[in-house]
Amino acid sequence: MTLVVMRNIRKFFGESRALTDFSLTVESGELVCLLGPSGCGKTTALRILAGFEKADAGTIEVDSESIGSVPVEKRNFGMVFQDYSLFPNMTARQNIEFGLKSRKVSATQRRATIDRMLQVTDLGDQADKFPHQMSGGQKQRVALARAIATSPRVLLLDEPLSALDAKVRESLREEIRHLQREVGVTTVFVTHDQQEALAIADRVGVMSNGQLEQIATPRDLYQNPKNSFVAKFIGSINRIPATSRTDGLWNVLDAILTGSRAGTELEHADAGIRPEDITVSATHRESANAIIEDSSFLGAITRVKLMLNGVTTIYADLMSINATPFIPGQPVLVGVRSDLETTIIF
Amino acid sequence: MTKFFKWGFLILLALFFVVPLLAMARFAFQSVPVALLTGETWLKGWSIDPIITASTDPAMWSAAKTSVLLAVFTSVLTLVLLMPLAIVTEIKAPRMRPWLTALTLLPWVVPPIALVVGVSVTFRTGAPWFLASVFSLVPFYALWAMPFTYRALDAGLQAINARTLYEAARSTGASFPTIILRVILPNMKASIVAAAALTTALVLGEFAFASLLLKETLPTFMVNFQQSQARAGLALALIILIFTALAIGIVVRTLRRRGLNVQTTGL
Repeated sequence: MTLVVMRNIRKFFGESRALTDFSLTVESGELVCLLGPSGCGKTTALRILAGFEKADAGTIEVDSESIGSVPVEKRNFGMVFQDYSLFPNMTARQNIEFGLKSRKVSATQRRATIDRMLQVTDLGDQADKFPHQMSGGQKQRVALARAIATSPRVLLLDEPLSALDAKVRESLREEIRHLQREVGVTTVFVTHDQQEALAIADRVGVMSNGQLEQIATPRDLYQNPKNSFVAKFIGSINRIPATSRTDGLWNVLDAILTGSRAGTELEHADAGIRPEDITVSATHRESANAIIEDSSFLGAITRVKLMLNGVTTIYADLMSINATPFIPGQPVLVGVRSDLETTIIF
Repeated sequence: MTKFFKWGFLILLALFFVVPLLAMARFAFQSVPVALLTGETWLKGWSIDPIITASTDPAMWSAAKTSVLLAVFTSVLTLVLLMPLAIVTEIKAPRMRPWLTALTLLPWVVPPIALVVGVSVTFRTGAPWFLASVFSLVPFYALWAMPFTYRALDAGLQAINARTLYEAARSTGASFPTIILRVILPNMKASIVAAAALTTALVLGEFAFASLLLKETLPTFMVNFQQSQARAGLALALIILIFTALAIGIVVRTLRRRGLNVQTTGL
């Protein structure tokens, strides 16, 4: 069931355009990530949905009811901010209780809800601590508990992990995912970290210049990017010269691939090939098409930097277990994985 | 080498403050002229009589009472006027902040004499009773304290990140009065105290307005008193200085112990 519908939202801040024709639908119980570089409008989109900003044009519906003119405090959304924004004068317990009091929940019910929230966020021993006595991760868990305690219709998270260090970030992102599934709350999560988005979301919406470029499952986004912006933003990608054949298929390093668009006869273009889809094999100088420039061991994989045909720098990710230790300067034959069928044409 | 300069500078600075105070204390409490100070005489002639002279003067107590009341009323007035302004500006119209910061400085552009003349001309015709009361100083002091009070409050709001707190509270469904009373104000305690402390210090030391409007406050009393009783006057000044410093120190200490950080500038 579709819960949130944002349609043709436009927003200007003075002269600068924050959102142009932004549309988004979120299914009930789904976790959608809005991902994009800073200034792409993702936070503005979230703040419009929350009600902190007013859209210049467009409609927002939740549960088929227009909420464009409903004030923030009446929307019944939960929100988590990047800087925790816990109330410093209240303990963890009081922070969680704050919203419940505003919503006139009875004392016994409040106690039960708080205890449950403390339990699901694993904060039992922090209940009576003040924010300045807690770590960043604990603070953000309290903020999360506070946001979901009132059983919001939608949970909004604005870069909730950006202020935390790498290790806490990773464990908390799993916790958020787990909690979101357990509570079943429909969630919109804004981040600039693609790994975070891919790891946590049911669907990821990639944004740039105030527009939604593509929204799809993480796998789909990675494997079938709709345009070059998405392809480059999600993971890394090589641009490899390709030539189209008479039947519209593309010839990339002697492999025949279906492009994101059909080519006209003998058209030259660049194909986007992920580093893990490149094959590298040692060969004689005469049959080589590339030279190894550098190779870095990254654990499970080895990333090899190559000079293709003397002009194009490309990267290949090889399983370390299979990768022969290539030496800089060594001539090699570079190809494309044979089971690769479609590719993006820039 | 840099350490040497750092300490040298600090010691110079300390001397700059401490030497005059010591000189003041010596003059007030020792009845030996400087010309006669020798190794033999420097321990002689010390007495606390000057402070007794000063503190037994009923006019001193009445002036002190006036000054304390003025400090209290001025603090309350500036807070009542500026707190809502600072809060609403930060939460609802952050773009107005630089304007307000500049605006609150305006009273300092006008010299006290011009302010007093302007105000007394205006009030003398319509409401002469206003200038007759000693508390007619309160609005002047409130204006004079405005830049300090506003900056202290504004710094407090910035420090607690008031706008996000407000948004977070709104998203949980709280009403505006609830947010102000239960979230914003409790977290502003430190800056409210800082604002009041600054205002108090300003009022306790203000001379120009009181003198121009012919009111007897502690500073104007001290000037007159000193002309007739030089040593007792200085003794009094010294005691008040130490007392004020201690009072402010204790307030700041108490707040720090409760985890509140007092910020007095927003510049």
